[in-house]
Amino acid sequence: MGGLTQAVRRKVWWRQFLFQGCWNYEGMQNVGFAYSILPALRHHYRERPEDLIRALKRHLEYFNTHPAMGGVILGATARMEERVASGEVDPRAIGTFKVGLMGSLGAIGDSYFWGALKPMASVAGAILSLLHPVLGIAALLVLYNLSHVSVRLKGFAAGMEGEESAVRFLKGAGFTVRTEDRKILAAILGGAYAGVLGSKTAFLFGGAAPAVAFFLVALITVHLLTVLFRKAVSPSEILLFLLIIGTMFLWR
Amino acid sequence: MVWQFLLAAAIGAIAYVDRTAAFQLMLHRPLVVATAMGAVFGNVAAGAQVGAVLELLYLARLPVGASIPPDDTGAAMFGGAAAAVASSSVGLDAGSFTALLLLSVPCAEMGKAADRLIRRVNGRIAALTIESVERGDSQAVEHGLLAGLILFALSGMVLALAFSGLGLATGKLLLPRFGPESKAQFAVLLPLFPLIGAASVFSCTRTDRTAPAFYLTMGMVFAATLFFRWAG
Repeated sequence: MGGLTQAVRRKVWWRQFLFQGCWNYEGMQNVGFAYSILPALRHHYRERPEDLIRALKRHLEYFNTHPAMGGVILGATARMEERVASGEVDPRAIGTFKVGLMGSLGAIGDSYFWGALKPMASVAGAILSLLHPVLGIAALLVLYNLSHVSVRLKGFAAGMEGEESAVRFLKGAGFTVRTEDRKILAAILGGAYAGVLGSKTAFLFGGAAPAVAFFLVALITVHLLTVLFRKAVSPSEILLFLLIIGTMFLWR
Repeated sequence: MVWQFLLAAAIGAIAYVDRTAAFQLMLHRPLVVATAMGAVFGNVAAGAQVGAVLELLYLARLPVGASIPPDDTGAAMFGGAAAAVASSSVGLDAGSFTALLLLSVPCAEMGKAADRLIRRVNGRIAALTIESVERGDSQAVEHGLLAGLILFALSGMVLALAFSGLGLATGKLLLPRFGPESKAQFAVLLPLFPLIGAASVFSCTRTDRTAPAFYLTMGMVFAATLFFRWAG
């Protein structure tokens, strides 16, 4: 059997970017996960086609986690398959391991990537695009992907060292602190964005009193909208409401 | 024009594949897509102007689990193309800008419906893949994934053509019909967009610690930039 060659490891690592290539409501990322681990399975079961099919079927079961966090599970699972192939581990342990980790990593990933890093990168990009579009786009892509690709790289490498190493990586990566830091940065940048563009409108009113009044209205509006968004009102619903009001302006 | 639509379709394929199926490098974000569409249809700055606003509007809806957020990539395709053809030598007027942002909302909802449909079709592809693997064909996994990717890319191309076509029609045919008075009235809604964007960012980052940071920064930056506007 033996460990994976560098070429196979590289193949598996690259394939993790296609986790959601066949995303579906029934198995979610099942086909993506099976596709990603396939080179490792072919290596481990190279002269045992029936075992290869059995292993592949294990990975076509329901799987869903945050795509950027999937590398950790993928690496650790590829390592476990090596031990299953040599008879050291029961194959059922793989399913237990994947199911045990995918939910918590999904929650961590959603909170860090979608709830903190993406808003931070987006608002930084939106602010800098006021200076130059290319600057804004570069900021958005660099800020997001530095962390994104790094987690995929380090997570996969840690997973390949084994389950304990994967857990050590997750503890050491400090996602809770990183999420909190990115959220504060995003909030500061979001406040700055509202402040800059709000002052642009307030300036048109002229005079301090209308400017202060506009600021207070803006503050209350942002607060109310935030409450609505947190109560699961979609931005689309608010924008459609504005579209109706706008259309009434046009037809007057 | 044919080359422009071919380029738009290529951008659509890349953006929609990046959005869900592969990589997630943020190439599908409205700032990137609207700027690219602006470049394709002749005005980068107008596209970027729309993209910067759209970038934040839908952030409040997170793609968690099976939930699908509004398709801000499609909204950016529509907005970028429309802004590029509607802007004059002095840029995009506030009324047209507001109208484009609001008219992009139906595109975001149509894109969301298309995304849901693709994921259902993928369910069939996944079922066929599993059947083939059970018959002993390990390559079926690679074929299944490729089929899913092609489906995402093709739908991206079709959506890009539809949204950019709608954008061009809006910018060239619909917006010029509105008079200056109507546009001025429409523009009254424009200051709301940055506030919706900021609220969208704040709602997904809000904690006990971030609330003071958000409001204090908003107040300080508002006061400082207003002072400089008055002074300058």
